[in-house]
Amino acid sequence: MNRLSQLPTLRINPAEKISFSCNGKIYQGIGGDTIATALYANGVRIFSRSMKYHRPRGLYSLDGESSNTFMHIDGIPNVCAEKTALKEGLAVKAQNIKGSPENDLLSFMDKLHWAMPAGFYYRSMHKPAIIWPFAMKQVRKMAGLGKISPSFIMHGKYDEIYPQTDVCIIGGGPAGMSAALAAAKHGLRVILIEARPWLGGGYDYRASEYDSGMPLHQRARDLAKKTEETPNIRVFTSAAMVGAYNNNLITAFQVGSENDHYNERYIEVRAKSVVVATGCIERPLLFENNERPGVMQIGCAHRLARTYGLLPGTKAVFSIGHDLGIETAIDIHDLGLKILCVADIREDGQNPKLVAALKERSIPFLRGWLAIKAHGRKILKKVTLSTNQGTHHREYNCDILVASAGMTPITGPLIMAKAELTYDNHTGFFLPTKLPAKMHAAGRLLGLNHPLTIDASGRHAGLLAAADCAADVQGELKQAHEILDQLPGPERGARFVIPPVKNQKCFICFDEDTTIKNIDQALQMGFDVPELIKRFTAAGTGPGQWGIPGHNLPLYVAQCHGDVDVSPKPTMLRSPLVPTFIATYAGANHDMYKRTPVHDSQKKAGGIMQRIGIWRRARYFSEDFSCRDEILNVRKNVGMFDASTLGKFRIWGPDALKALQRVYVGDMSRIPPGKVKYSAMCNDDGCLADDGVVVKRGEDDYYFTTSTSRAENTVEWFRYHTRYDGWDFHMVNLTDAFGVINLAGPNARKVLEKTADTDLSNEAFPFVGYREFTLSETIPVRAMRLGFVGELSYELHVPSSYMRVLWDLLNKSGEEWGIRNFGMEAQNVLRMEKGHIIIGSESEQRTTLHDVGLGFLWYRKKPEAKTVGSFALKDTEQQKGRLKLVGFKMDDSSRTPEDGSIIVDSEIRGFVCTARHSFTLGESIGLALVESHLAKEGTQLEIFEASAGDKRLNATVVPTPFYDPEGNRLRM
Amino acid sequence: MALTITCPICGKRNGYEFRYGGVEKGPRPNEEGLTHTSWCDYVHMNECVAGIQQEWWFHRDGCGVWFTTYRDTTTNLEVEKPEVDR
Repeated sequence: MNRLSQLPTLRINPAEKISFSCNGKIYQGIGGDTIATALYANGVRIFSRSMKYHRPRGLYSLDGESSNTFMHIDGIPNVCAEKTALKEGLAVKAQNIKGSPENDLLSFMDKLHWAMPAGFYYRSMHKPAIIWPFAMKQVRKMAGLGKISPSFIMHGKYDEIYPQTDVCIIGGGPAGMSAALAAAKHGLRVILIEARPWLGGGYDYRASEYDSGMPLHQRARDLAKKTEETPNIRVFTSAAMVGAYNNNLITAFQVGSENDHYNERYIEVRAKSVVVATGCIERPLLFENNERPGVMQIGCAHRLARTYGLLPGTKAVFSIGHDLGIETAIDIHDLGLKILCVADIREDGQNPKLVAALKERSIPFLRGWLAIKAHGRKILKKVTLSTNQGTHHREYNCDILVASAGMTPITGPLIMAKAELTYDNHTGFFLPTKLPAKMHAAGRLLGLNHPLTIDASGRHAGLLAAADCAADVQGELKQAHEILDQLPGPERGARFVIPPVKNQKCFICFDEDTTIKNIDQALQMGFDVPELIKRFTAAGTGPGQWGIPGHNLPLYVAQCHGDVDVSPKPTMLRSPLVPTFIATYAGANHDMYKRTPVHDSQKKAGGIMQRIGIWRRARYFSEDFSCRDEILNVRKNVGMFDASTLGKFRIWGPDALKALQRVYVGDMSRIPPGKVKYSAMCNDDGCLADDGVVVKRGEDDYYFTTSTSRAENTVEWFRYHTRYDGWDFHMVNLTDAFGVINLAGPNARKVLEKTADTDLSNEAFPFVGYREFTLSETIPVRAMRLGFVGELSYELHVPSSYMRVLWDLLNKSGEEWGIRNFGMEAQNVLRMEKGHIIIGSESEQRTTLHDVGLGFLWYRKKPEAKTVGSFALKDTEQQKGRLKLVGFKMDDSSRTPEDGSIIVDSEIRGFVCTARHSFTLGESIGLALVESHLAKEGTQLEIFEASAGDKRLNATVVPTPFYDPEGNRLRM
Repeated sequence: MALTITCPICGKRNGYEFRYGGVEKGPRPNEEGLTHTSWCDYVHMNECVAGIQQEWWFHRDGCGVWFTTYRDTTTNLEVEKPEVDR
């Protein structure tokens, strides 16, 4: 198809050729094309088939207000072809077809409309219940738009930004740009969001006069230039606004171009003030086959010609309800399209100049007429026009019908922001009668039509927004108000006409194939509120949301009530107002994690790193995931473990002890000098929150550890539970400032002695002791003799920057004693053999201190401390029906149940927390939480495991610790 | 999140930065004389006000302070302290 050239409004570059494929055929488009315009230029008229009836669908609005041009593009279904820029090599496919878009084998569905009345899915499918599984399968096969392969992976880069601004303007048309310039003039920061790839809005492609000989498109370009050149206006084009929330939070997503570092980017703008200048879309004209390819809206036809250089067809009929339609007919006629007739739904009120221009061009003009039927089986061949009352008919053979009932405001952002909208009889618009605080509306969506008024209303709104941001604009605002008052106000809109035909296929919603007849059926069944009719008939629940049915539905329903008091009510809209990729919401896929200071050292030593919580940690040090050698080496020689992820804190100050007494269940006033105290924290229900050790390093100065997962919450926890007390203490989270190596095994002392400057003998530094000394005359160490893994061990806390040196030092010193690294998994087995718990493994939300057998940690004689959890601990001490922690031994030592397996008899009685084969003991052992009557030693447990099928695994409750019950090895 | 919270130290910030700490219920009761019910009421029961309530927030991704502020639960917006404190 030849393109128009030399038009100042064109946004294409014919010199740039772009090849792409559609349904297997190769096509050529040009630079600036969207996929839809390129296909249209290649003669494609049917883009896809409709969801329910498989009717052919084509170009209708060019702004993506319905799923008509949703296509399968490069593996992604439901991409809007009219809004997607053409790129070299794109593979496009039509959706919802069996066969080709022209010959869809499922098009017989169109004849079955009688079988699918409104709500048929809800009403007919459940009786008799026996057919439901079958019917559901069939319906699901047919229903839905687009198909996605289960193995599909979304590619591309997705970004997100969270800008703050003084004024956010939605809509980059003349009103929006005027508002932006007015606010920016006062030094305010302005963000302007525009859905199309360029600024200009409705002026961009119109050639009629703005003022003193200047065409509107020139005015748009002047304004755009000014806007883009203003440094404090940040313009986002190709950015569809998708949500408006209270506090003036506006969300949008922006489609990236070739030069951007993202495919799509989510934008969340927080603004002090918002101006909504979204303008209007067209209200679809209702008549039979009103969605037949070849039927299109005014803006679509006009933009095809003026923006993309494509005359939409050869012979056109116009059926319109707004002066814009007449203006477009004249303009397209002058560009070379034959116009057979212009029918105007309005009996009067047209601009006489435009009517005269039609006459000059000998285009027949019919007042009070409209299209009532589009003929043609697949694409438009003929149109029947009728008077509004249906008294006279005329027919025209044509390939284009430009149909539009009038304008309708894009109120989505206002509705989402909870503005109050009221139907206005003069304009026929839903107009905002009450706006949320610091939100303003401007431009055509207020019913304004005169270019000067639109500009002035934008300026006025921009100044109101500036006033919200405390700019001094009172004088200017008064002036702007006066100017606005003197200009022509909102114009009378076309009234709503129910087409004077009895018809089956008059579509109120294209996405869901909802006809006027379906609405009638809903009304007959007693539905009377548009919101409910929307749900029942699905009108407006498709991806186009409000676009096609949003205005017609409430108007039709109000008209059908025949009651003048029933004023139309708009239906609700929800985010996203425009379909968006989930990938865009998900944003960039950063795997953010923490690494310990010896991360690289461990990796080099063969550590297999895994993500555990917020950390990546060494889980294994060989390919043997049972960790046999790592475990046995700790038991026989010595091992070292990176425990740097432990929470580490300093708390000090005159009231530090009071705070410790508040959160720890033990008596923290009795921490012996040179010793650690093991204690636990509970929540207010007495359930276990954390455990760890505390040392007193000086007067009112303590150092303590928490479990890894609690490192982030501990400061918050202390301060929350002391928030009323006004106590004087400080806390510092030292988790990242200190690293920890646990040196464990019978040879641990020998390794450490090589470089320590202190006596490490069992008498000088006994079990549960705490010492501070220096290694290699350099590394300051805080050492604790603990026994988490059940052997002689030293937990060495050193400043993070020394960690790598310490790591190398211990490796070297331990060489002759058989030192080896051990990882998370080995530690897990070692500590389990010792019966030591890990919070979260051996406890869950409901597990109290008593349940895990740590009740002895609770010091009950400090009620004045109001210890967190103490009241509940008292309450639950003798409580029946609780799960208790027990040790068990598998009857078959070669069979270990999976962690989390359930313990059953005729009911579920508990679950396995951790179970492993113990190489040390040659048994399969584990810890489980079971109902108290099963907790007695010697009780037989039956374990259900999915992989074992019907067969249950047998275990016996045994005392813990499994290993070294006397604890001799810790005290070596 | 549309909610913003005004931290007494850092000023007005995005609601994402804060952790909710429940409705203001007054200090922990003394353990003496506490019953099951009164303790449970203190810990778990809430008025669920439709309107303005005073509540605790923690500036987790900021200065780490616990403070109270007022929020209208019907609009999910922070509001000024009401004239007559309920």
